[in-house]
Amino acid sequence: MKVLRNWLLELCDLDAAPSADELARALTSVGLEVEGQTDLGAGFTGVVVAEVVAVKPHPSADKLRLVDVITSRGGAATQVVCGAPNVPAPGGRVLWAQPGATLPGGLTLAVRAVKGVDSPGMLCAEAEGGVGDAAAGIVVLEADDRTPLGAPAQQALGVDDWLLEVNAPANRPDVLGHVGVARELVARLGGRLVAPDGDLAAHTLDGPALGERLAVAIDDAAGCARYVARRLEGVTVGPSPRWLRQRLRGVGVRPISNLVDVTNYVMFELGQPLHAFDAERLLDRRIAVRTARTGETLATLDGVRRSLATTDLVIVDGAEAQRAVALAGVMGGAETEVHAGTTSIVLESASFAPRRVRATARRLGLHSESSLRFERGVDPALAEQASARAARLLAVHGGGRVVAGAVDVYPAPAAKVTVALRPARLAAVTGVGFDDGVAADALARLGCEVVVDGDALRTTVPSWRGDLSREADLIEEVLRITGYDRVPSTLPPLRAANPLFDTARAGGDETPIDADGARRILAAAGLAEAITFGFQSFARHGALNLAPTDRRSRPIALRNPMSSDQAIMRTSLVPNLLAAVARNHSHGEPDLALFEVGPVFLRRDAQGSEVAPRELADEEIWACAVLVGARPRHLGAPTAWDVFDAKGLLEQLACARARGPHGGRWTATRDVPYLHPGVAAELRFGDAEPAGWIGEIHPDVRAAFGIDVPVFAFDVRLRGLPVGGAPQMAAIPRFPRATRDVSLLLDVGIPAARVDEVIAGERPALLEAARVVEDYRDPKLPAGTKSVLWTLSYRAGDRTLTDAEVDAAHEALVSRLVAEVPAQRR
Amino acid sequence: MNTDDLLSEIGRVAGVFADAIAPLVDEQGIRATQAQFLGKKGQLSALMRDMAKLPPADRPRVGEAVNRVKGEIEARVGAKLAELTAQRRTLDLARVVDVSLPARPAAAGHLHLITQVRLESIQIFAELGFAVAEGPQLDTDWNTFEALAIPKDHPARDMQDTFYVADEIVLRTHTSPVQVRTMLAHAPPIRIIAPGQVYRRDDDPTHSPMFTQIEGLVVDEGVRFSDLRGVLDHYVSRFFGRALSVRFRPSYFPFVEPGAEVDMQCSFCGGAGCRLCKHTGWVEIGGAGMVDPDVFANCKIDSERYTGFAFGMGLERMAMLRHGVNDIKFYYEGDLRFLRQF
Repeated sequence: MKVLRNWLLELCDLDAAPSADELARALTSVGLEVEGQTDLGAGFTGVVVAEVVAVKPHPSADKLRLVDVITSRGGAATQVVCGAPNVPAPGGRVLWAQPGATLPGGLTLAVRAVKGVDSPGMLCAEAEGGVGDAAAGIVVLEADDRTPLGAPAQQALGVDDWLLEVNAPANRPDVLGHVGVARELVARLGGRLVAPDGDLAAHTLDGPALGERLAVAIDDAAGCARYVARRLEGVTVGPSPRWLRQRLRGVGVRPISNLVDVTNYVMFELGQPLHAFDAERLLDRRIAVRTARTGETLATLDGVRRSLATTDLVIVDGAEAQRAVALAGVMGGAETEVHAGTTSIVLESASFAPRRVRATARRLGLHSESSLRFERGVDPALAEQASARAARLLAVHGGGRVVAGAVDVYPAPAAKVTVALRPARLAAVTGVGFDDGVAADALARLGCEVVVDGDALRTTVPSWRGDLSREADLIEEVLRITGYDRVPSTLPPLRAANPLFDTARAGGDETPIDADGARRILAAAGLAEAITFGFQSFARHGALNLAPTDRRSRPIALRNPMSSDQAIMRTSLVPNLLAAVARNHSHGEPDLALFEVGPVFLRRDAQGSEVAPRELADEEIWACAVLVGARPRHLGAPTAWDVFDAKGLLEQLACARARGPHGGRWTATRDVPYLHPGVAAELRFGDAEPAGWIGEIHPDVRAAFGIDVPVFAFDVRLRGLPVGGAPQMAAIPRFPRATRDVSLLLDVGIPAARVDEVIAGERPALLEAARVVEDYRDPKLPAGTKSVLWTLSYRAGDRTLTDAEVDAAHEALVSRLVAEVPAQRR
Repeated sequence: MNTDDLLSEIGRVAGVFADAIAPLVDEQGIRATQAQFLGKKGQLSALMRDMAKLPPADRPRVGEAVNRVKGEIEARVGAKLAELTAQRRTLDLARVVDVSLPARPAAAGHLHLITQVRLESIQIFAELGFAVAEGPQLDTDWNTFEALAIPKDHPARDMQDTFYVADEIVLRTHTSPVQVRTMLAHAPPIRIIAPGQVYRRDDDPTHSPMFTQIEGLVVDEGVRFSDLRGVLDHYVSRFFGRALSVRFRPSYFPFVEPGAEVDMQCSFCGGAGCRLCKHTGWVEIGGAGMVDPDVFANCKIDSERYTGFAFGMGLERMAMLRHGVNDIKFYYEGDLRFLRQF
């Protein structure tokens, strides 16, 4: 809501006129946040009101005149050269930009010769004052303009004013007019509201009342609570007075003509949108408000013929209510529009239902100052006041006379709303102590009628405050008007241990997700955490080539995405991280170790993304990491990340959650479509689905993201990783261990883990651990074989093993391995 | 061998040992030489066995000689080894490393700035007894709007342009549906903090379509608006590490009444006025208020018996204020140049 300071102060009776800053503070303190303030006259200086005392021809140019001006009665005249066609006769008043004046755009005036005659400065057009239409001659003040000689031009142009951008809360349609804002101001600062003048006594025509000449019917009472019509005759269409035009410009509305301008002016003053019909163009002296019919059309005054929908509320005329003449609250029709030759008008001041206006404005994309106000809700009580106010202004500035009376159709006047406020409750809810009478006074200042009724204040709220219907609403009003800064700082007592500590985490008694635990582990392991959007594009999603049987292949689509990059909810963390890799590469960052822990969104039904889900998604928390380029480097040549880094990170995560060995099983897999078929493994626990994977991102997939180097990754569903209880201490070994190495020649197709499998089956009594220390490939080895070196350690819990015992155990184990794996000794 | 022969043989062995050990400079050689003379099969042990064949009267004299030589050998070996250790130590201490070379990077990862700020905020509220509650990012229209007194045609829905995936399922525009879920699941007393990602159709230097809120809710008997202020005073003071207070400005959120915008004293200038706070001394950090009676009714809580407050803040904003992040887009691009700064 744009508010002009002068306009606002005109509506208030205050002890002292607040500055723009003071206004901004006061309004913000009652919840009307002032988001910006502009000095409208700041664009120019040194331009003053001057009177023409003589006009002479220019000696050498027909179109130029020499104009003598004075800036004080009896003062010395100055001769200024002027080329405008509308230089007034002596006695006329103009705006003189004196030498030294600066104009919008930065021009500074001096004494300058114009065709051989010195001109100290110039006479100004409106555009040169930064306020107006394109220059069509110089500004000549109206005869009734009272701006004194020598005064700054800002005053004459109506720009010695401040524009305040007030953020009106969504539930406060009453402050969408200057009067509403003024009401808040006087309630806060103390003072009195000055009501706009709507007295028609001096402007009313003798003769039959309007009711005898115009019939109004509300056929859709749910769509229109009240309709007030007035008629003016003998109006003359012309420009509005300069002050009125300037106020409209100040609030961002282009002045058009006195008839249109007044309706806009009253809307910005009282908050009631109005519409003027050319009375001669209305059929049959009949107006009705009804729902549009199928197939009905209306040419709106922007020149577009529009098909109406049966949700639209329309104003119609004619004996059969057959012709639509306006889209209620949204836009008038072209056929009944006021025009240059209009002499009589019907003025509409009505209350249309917010939903209806909103639906029509949205459907047609026609959002206006009028529809905005109706959408928020216009107080029906305002209709008559605004109608009278506008009629008066039209009579004064349009030269017309008002037909006696109004047609006021208000079938179900709103009942008064009374709400009880208990002062004890006020204190208990706010924590603020109020003296007796303070609450009642605050409410009264807002226009409430307050009656003490036992322990409560029985408060009847004014018609324009539809937002006040409960005690809590009144509590806020009292606090707002007395000042939120009265609220002290206290702490809520903790009466009992918080029972929600055990249950508040989503998941209840299921495996805890502990996403933050996972984040801490991965960050401690040297990775940088990324957080990416929960949505992504179809293209990135598709690049993973997920099988149609994979639940993740059917993402949930957004209905109203802002861009194709954000079309669907992610079902995997991989694409956004690969996109981050590509972006980092483009920034010249080749070495990356990134992870994300966050939700993926899986649909619970079996539908594809073209179908909207009926249920919420399963939001599973996954962890994913990508390793690209080289490991953190010290001196010497860089070493590249490989798949075992990814495996190590997932191991670390799994062990940290298990609080010990995780007990999962790794198996090579060729079945993950976004991983390299030869460099991928899955991690399973028991018979469950794999909890996660490690591997190299498939070269085709990374290529789809524009990445031309290997990417190693892990991707794991956090709930799939078991969570261990408190670890229990194992006895510290008292006797030393002995180690033996064994080098075995294996078929290249046999995974190293085969040895672990055989050992697990054998359970050799003295073996403590077996560890692979080398995987040696060499063309010198027999074709199709590899040499793998293990270190085996042996220990007994009750004695130091002798060399002979260790040798015997080792020999027995190696023999079993050779037979079972199978393998050869090297 | 008679006694005298044996004695002279002992003397000779001592001489041989002295000659043998003198040139040695390695521990292994010294130990081997020691074993050669003192070991079970060593020369001195052989002489000890010969001693058994002597007359008993001579044995002490010979034994004494053997022990003396044995002692000399042990002392000599000890001295030799000590000399060697000293030499090694001197050599070791002569080493010089150019410690101006760069550090070898230890595993140095980074929690995302928003994660850090979120965890820290949770910690601060935990000091006041708040438990963490969570909820889904895709939630029902009812939890997100209707239950919070924002019906479908309510003007407040314009304030939050919402991503829809179905008629009744939205990407939550705020963390407030967690309030609803918590109140429906648990009777008061309730004291929770609900951090999480939220989404709005907005994208410019100060708005990201996804961002992170932290929501607080306290419901109990006797909870006051002033308690809300105290909790937020504590939070901003702890978060910024200096005594700061908040102020309330009246504002409208359908699910609180009274409702407020929350400003805090500028963390940069402490309220004196600077560029960050546009010389007002205050910066806006969120919205708050007393839980609206209609919300309590929707959540089956008796609003006569219980009162409560709720607040919501953007963690990106808190991080911006404390860490000088000047564009919200940096948070969610996975740009290492940004991530590794924190």
